[in-house]
Amino acid sequence: MANRIPAFLLDSKHGGEDDQHLFSRSDAKRTRGVSFIDRGIHGLGNVIRTTYVQWETSSGRGLLQRFDPRVKLLFLLFFAIVISLQRDLVHALAMAAFIFCLVSLSFLRIAVFYWRVLFVGFFLGFLMAAPSSLNIIVPGEVILPLIRFSQPHEFLIYNVPPTVGITSHGLILTAMITLRVMNSLALSLLVMYTTPLQDIIRALKIFRVPDAFLLVVLLSYRYIFIFAGLAEDMHLAVRSRIVGGISGPEARKWIAGRMAVLFRKTRLRCEDVFNAMRARGFSGETRLPECGRLATADWVAGVLLFAVGTVFLWI
Amino acid sequence: MSNDILNMEHVSYRYFDRIPALENISLGISEGETLAVIGSNGSGKSTLLQIAAGLLYPHEGRVLFRGVEVNEKALRAKAFMKQFRSSLGFVFQDSDVQLFCPSVMDELMYGPLQLGLSEDEASDRAMEILAMLGIEGLKHRPSYMLSGGEKKKVAIGSVLTMNPEIILVDEPTNGLDPRTQCTLMEVLMSLREAGKTVIIATHDLSLVDELQASVAVLSEEHCLVRRGEAGDILADEELLLSVNLIHEHRHFHGKEVHSHLHSHYSFHKH
Repeated sequence: MANRIPAFLLDSKHGGEDDQHLFSRSDAKRTRGVSFIDRGIHGLGNVIRTTYVQWETSSGRGLLQRFDPRVKLLFLLFFAIVISLQRDLVHALAMAAFIFCLVSLSFLRIAVFYWRVLFVGFFLGFLMAAPSSLNIIVPGEVILPLIRFSQPHEFLIYNVPPTVGITSHGLILTAMITLRVMNSLALSLLVMYTTPLQDIIRALKIFRVPDAFLLVVLLSYRYIFIFAGLAEDMHLAVRSRIVGGISGPEARKWIAGRMAVLFRKTRLRCEDVFNAMRARGFSGETRLPECGRLATADWVAGVLLFAVGTVFLWI
Repeated sequence: MSNDILNMEHVSYRYFDRIPALENISLGISEGETLAVIGSNGSGKSTLLQIAAGLLYPHEGRVLFRGVEVNEKALRAKAFMKQFRSSLGFVFQDSDVQLFCPSVMDELMYGPLQLGLSEDEASDRAMEILAMLGIEGLKHRPSYMLSGGEKKKVAIGSVLTMNPEIILVDEPTNGLDPRTQCTLMEVLMSLREAGKTVIIATHDLSLVDELQASVAVLSEEHCLVRRGEAGDILADEELLLSVNLIHEHRHFHGKEVHSHLHSHYSFHKH
């Protein structure tokens, strides 16, 4: 082997550089930005990190982590109905306070938790409901005039009054819808963060969801995780070989190629899993283990949560 | 300033900011040295190599390449990135993640073309490496139609065509048949003879013995527990036992049950 070493490998001038002046200050000033590949892969990394955090918090020792997943699912369903039936802002605020107590007692990271709730709630709640605060959508007493016209106008199906502004009724409606969205979101995240996903899926059996469907969801979840990791490794590999940065077309070509590779690997993995299932007796029907009996503490928790929900409905 | 080409100072790294992978590692690698980082599964060998290659950044401590700190900011500078990336070649454990060009030939020419070499020069380099590795017949084949051993050779070849100063190989012989293992061993020896700095991560003690590399031993607690020469490290059964690289093993010899330390290496003597 030794006498077959190519001459260029014995050349102490590595790579293809003719000179080695590359640590100068002026060169250091020429920097490259973070590429869209980097940003995308960071996103994938975040998927993994988020999943890890979810796994970590769901196996913590907080209040909700101790409850049976079936109790939590029923609690989620019941409270979602209660939230949708609430008509009063004070009651919605009381519900938000109750959820906050549960989040605190479950030892979740409150800042991270509520940042997510506010972020999604802003888009799905506030932005969607904000137009209804104007007197164009919901007529009422204007408390904050925004635009004045000399006369009323007709625009599509809307009647635009001479003074367009925010009404007190519209404002309360917007706050109510936003709060409802945020409360529902906070509840869902609370259950998600305090229950391992495989337990949530198993608990879905009480809603008579077919086992085969649950198995597919479980496998999909697992493979998203695996392939996110694989994509991150591929990114590291290409980063180790990129010498002078990567152009847009090159990056797109690389991404297209990697997508093809991931697709091929997914197909192969699918075949492997199917064969592994057949080797262990799979013959078209699948059965997931049944959830055990509820403990007394779970019954007590379930009844208490039901009582609280009923109080919210009643007041 | 030390003469080390690569230096790690008090490096710690945690996955997801929580799971420890490396704890306070300080390690210098001199030019032309062959270093084997050994340790059991999960001890942090691959992470150490990826940090050395500037693919991951330590949470604590720093990595110096020829005295210049390698960090995210430094690698944003085009000139430094070019210098650094062309100086280090990284061969991943899973060759599939590394091979992304349409054919073997494209794979081998990718690096040199990035370095600014002409197509003819890049092609010449690729042909020489194909000959060195004995895979001339594969040059037009797509990487997904290669066997595990062939993929590993192409992955190494794709790094060698860039003629890096430092070659990092993660688990070079993992999952390969004995003949391919032998070929890779010869490649590593040749690179050593060619004056390259070679760093491998492995738990294959026979590879360490054959290369007669200097050795850094990582413990299961992700710490560097020993740095020394292959002969000394491999002779220290107590150390290898403590880091889970050898173990007590019971098996039959004829009808007699027999127990000894076992490592798939020289301790398995009768």
